[in-house]
Amino acid sequence: MGGNISQLEKELNCESLTVNEHYFGLVNFGNSCYCNSVLQALYFCRPFRQKVLEYKAKNKRVSQNKETLLTCLADLYHHIATQKKKTGTVAPKKFIARLKKENVVFDNFLQQDAHEFFNYLLNTIADLLAAEKSGNQTGPTDNNGKNNSDSNRTWIQDIFQGTLTNETRCLNCESLSSKDEDFLDLSVEIQQNTSITHCLRVFSNTETLSSEHKYYCENCCSKQEAQKRMRIKKLPMILALHLKRFKYMESQNRHTKISYRVVFPLELRLFNKASNKGGDDKLYDLVAVVIHCGPGPNRGHYITIVKSFGFWLLFDDEMVEKMDVSSIEDFYGITSDTQKSSESCYILLYQARESMLSS
Amino acid sequence: MNCSASAGQDSVSGATLLNPSTTGKEETVKCQFVTREGTYKLFKGDNCRTTVVGYTPQTNTPVKCSFSGDLICFNAAKELYVCNYKGIKNATDLNNPIDKRSYKGLYPTCHDFNVFADNVHLLVGLSAGQIQLMDPIKKEFCKLYNEERVIDKTKVTCIKWVPGSMNLFLVSHSSGQLYVYKEDLPCGSTTPHYQLFKQGEGFAIYTCKTKSTRNPLYRWVIGEGSINEIAFSPCSKYLATVSQDGFLRVFNYDTMELVGRVRSYFGGLLCICWSPDSKFVVVGGEDDLVTVWSLQEKRVIARGQGHKSWVNVVAFDPYTTTVRDAVDSANEAFGEESETPATRSENISHSLNDSNHLQHHSSTSSSSTIPSLNRNHCGSPSIEFNNHSTHLTCNTVNKSPIINSSRNSPSSIITSYRFGSVGQDTQLCLWELTEDIIKQPVGRSRTSILLHSPTNGSQHPLNSSSSHVSSSAQQSAYCSNLTSTDKCHNTLLPSQTGNCLPNNCNYLDPDVYTDHTTNTISSSTSSTGNNSFTNKHGQTRKEHKKNFSLASRNSDKNSLNKASHSKLNDDPIKLLGTSICPRLDEVPLLEPLICKKIAHERLTALVFKEDFFVTACQEGYIFTWVRPNKWENMQIAPSPIPSIDEEAALVDDNESTVV
Ligand SMILES: [Zn+2]
Repeated sequence: MGGNISQLEKELNCESLTVNEHYFGLVNFGNSCYCNSVLQALYFCRPFRQKVLEYKAKNKRVSQNKETLLTCLADLYHHIATQKKKTGTVAPKKFIARLKKENVVFDNFLQQDAHEFFNYLLNTIADLLAAEKSGNQTGPTDNNGKNNSDSNRTWIQDIFQGTLTNETRCLNCESLSSKDEDFLDLSVEIQQNTSITHCLRVFSNTETLSSEHKYYCENCCSKQEAQKRMRIKKLPMILALHLKRFKYMESQNRHTKISYRVVFPLELRLFNKASNKGGDDKLYDLVAVVIHCGPGPNRGHYITIVKSFGFWLLFDDEMVEKMDVSSIEDFYGITSDTQKSSESCYILLYQARESMLSS
Repeated sequence: MNCSASAGQDSVSGATLLNPSTTGKEETVKCQFVTREGTYKLFKGDNCRTTVVGYTPQTNTPVKCSFSGDLICFNAAKELYVCNYKGIKNATDLNNPIDKRSYKGLYPTCHDFNVFADNVHLLVGLSAGQIQLMDPIKKEFCKLYNEERVIDKTKVTCIKWVPGSMNLFLVSHSSGQLYVYKEDLPCGSTTPHYQLFKQGEGFAIYTCKTKSTRNPLYRWVIGEGSINEIAFSPCSKYLATVSQDGFLRVFNYDTMELVGRVRSYFGGLLCICWSPDSKFVVVGGEDDLVTVWSLQEKRVIARGQGHKSWVNVVAFDPYTTTVRDAVDSANEAFGEESETPATRSENISHSLNDSNHLQHHSSTSSSSTIPSLNRNHCGSPSIEFNNHSTHLTCNTVNKSPIINSSRNSPSSIITSYRFGSVGQDTQLCLWELTEDIIKQPVGRSRTSILLHSPTNGSQHPLNSSSSHVSSSAQQSAYCSNLTSTDKCHNTLLPSQTGNCLPNNCNYLDPDVYTDHTTNTISSSTSSTGNNSFTNKHGQTRKEHKKNFSLASRNSDKNSLNKASHSKLNDDPIKLLGTSICPRLDEVPLLEPLICKKIAHERLTALVFKEDFFVTACQEGYIFTWVRPNKWENMQIAPSPIPSIDEEAALVDDNESTVV
């Protein structure tokens, strides 16, 4: 392993990489790769890492000592970011212990769903931050007249939250109603031999509500046939896409993996923005991919690929390797319908690009 | 006014429009489909597909097909096949090739034929960067270029003979570099030393310091990331490249100047094709779209949405194209053509000053020095063109009885273009670029050539002195037009000889044409709700004007000496909303005429021929699709012709044999 690390360091030096970046593998504590893979992917989401490290710095000064999942994460990221060496391994022991303590779902040595963990982590951090904020905001700072949802807004929302709008048009009176819905990540149904952008576009296809699914129109005061479509109203800074690869099969009474080949571009725009008014469509760059290897949600392995300073790295628990960009296609999935096991993309993290002028 | 097969049938009810919202259902693989012109059927001769042993679809070497007369070359995994291919006229045994090569530790990635006299020269690009030149028929020689990999170590992505040349060829690599090789020069065993020759927005061209004694003659560094495909315009004047950085770049090949650019909506561009008259370029890529760019207007004029994944190949179908006689267009063409030689020679002399005696430019100044470099060396212009165009076979043009009559009406112009695309979604889409879309906004002055000759090289001083071509500039321009027209009229051939046209179709009645056009437009837009393009023509044009007010300014800015700004000018965020990358609602969003799942694996090749078209997929299968009413030409009786509505699934044995 030591040889491997120095090999990576050599390769990094070859790139004449002068930036102060750290590439550290994470030790696996018995099927904790679902956790390691997500932690690595998020570490290379620069806005997220930056906020976690800021939190750590702030916490030091305030000397708040209550251990939370966020303090453990901040300690872990800080530990990696302050290493003297560029490469190595770190044991996220404290974080994993805290995770198991806080949530019984993760309190075992079974393989867990990386997306479930991703979602749990973001929501837990958001809750912790919101609680801290309201705790601090006793007194004069509270009189700025913001509504509840705004006061609960934390940097988790700033980074990951987007807004979907559900538009329903009554086919009887033509009235249009829309309802907004916030999201931290989008779970996407996938199809064989498609692109992730197509799967996202399908998401917005018009759907007709009829027969038992009729829609109650407030204008007509009765159930009516209606057309519904979902569009994206506000795009997040980091677009987290979860590919629905685990499908519950009633016949087998368990989840099975869908290994469909779904290609994902290194750069994307969304086709289903609600309107082009209010700024340009964001252009996103792929920054990290969590990959599931194996046949099912509870059997298999998770690894992560990330983009850092123009090149790609593969994180497989404690192992870190430089990777050629052309190898990404190994993780699209497979076209064979009979083979269930695959190394296929599971969570995609895209970061909105800043214009070269404004940066 | 003429009217082709595609225009003849007014009804579009036979065509199946893709409803993009149709999802979830498992689609069956089609072995036939119906368009306006009739039913296309998969040729089920036993030997029309090949089974490649030991091939896994996970391997990333797309199967590509190159044609030359009766020869087909295709690569599959580590193997390269050259076979006799008689299309539908004779059974073809792809498993019994004329030449078959297996490679160890590397893969053939691309290939291109060059035929002159009775020599067949085949170039093959390899995955580790080397290039092979061979004669698969006589098997007399086999040369290797970049053998030591000192020129480029990365995968060859595309290889093309320079049109009209016996010995110059271009090789693009995934490193983002493009090299000009000369067949008889050595490659050397050390890394070449380059010096900057020319640069512009997003590209730089270098020459080898050792001058013209070794390969490569030139090194073009284009954009960032892999150059995925390159294509010469049929008129051979322009070279277009598509790259992983999302740019289509069109260069004047001789002056090495950037003529225009397109940025994908997002992601890399993967494929490219010129219209048969060199007026339009279609590209496809990772945005799942096909994008049409007009050389004349230097702007994106339309996009097409229909694929569910990345678009691997786009190809114009010159045989299903609507042609119209237009008396006034003849004058326009002449006017513009006559300007061209002057501009061209100016550019050439300019580049000569820069280059002193660079090989392929020097050929333009003197015919005697390096005759082998003559881009028009081998035979008559029309043969030239056919050898190098991937869209037309040489045989059909020369055999065509239409050609002679067409010389009497050189003023025909194409009014509607057909092109196809295949992608990673295993689907074939056919698209129509109708007059409404290609028509320019009123009042726009034309800035570029209307009709380019496929043998534009004939305007080189050298070529003018050649006995094949008239030396008069006027006449050579006229010849150029003739050749283009040959091509156009050739596209009429199926309609005039085939039986697919309704008898009551009046070719000379302009109303028939108009009706048809309107019909197509409405059918192609009817199901897009958020489409800004409507068939209210006036409205459409107004929008064009409004949205593309930047177009002329942008194209003027393509000055080559502004390289310092290239980073900023490449910023896709800044380019959004310009003629280089319009917003989705700023240009017509076409829907495909038809969109069919025709394979189990992603499709990697699409070539249109007179009687059929060919597709290939990642599994290594080559499929031949017979055009409507071409079944009677076949000597081997196919399986009984199913009724028009029948859409049978492929027989099961197509699925198997993947190891
Ligand atoms: Zn109503």
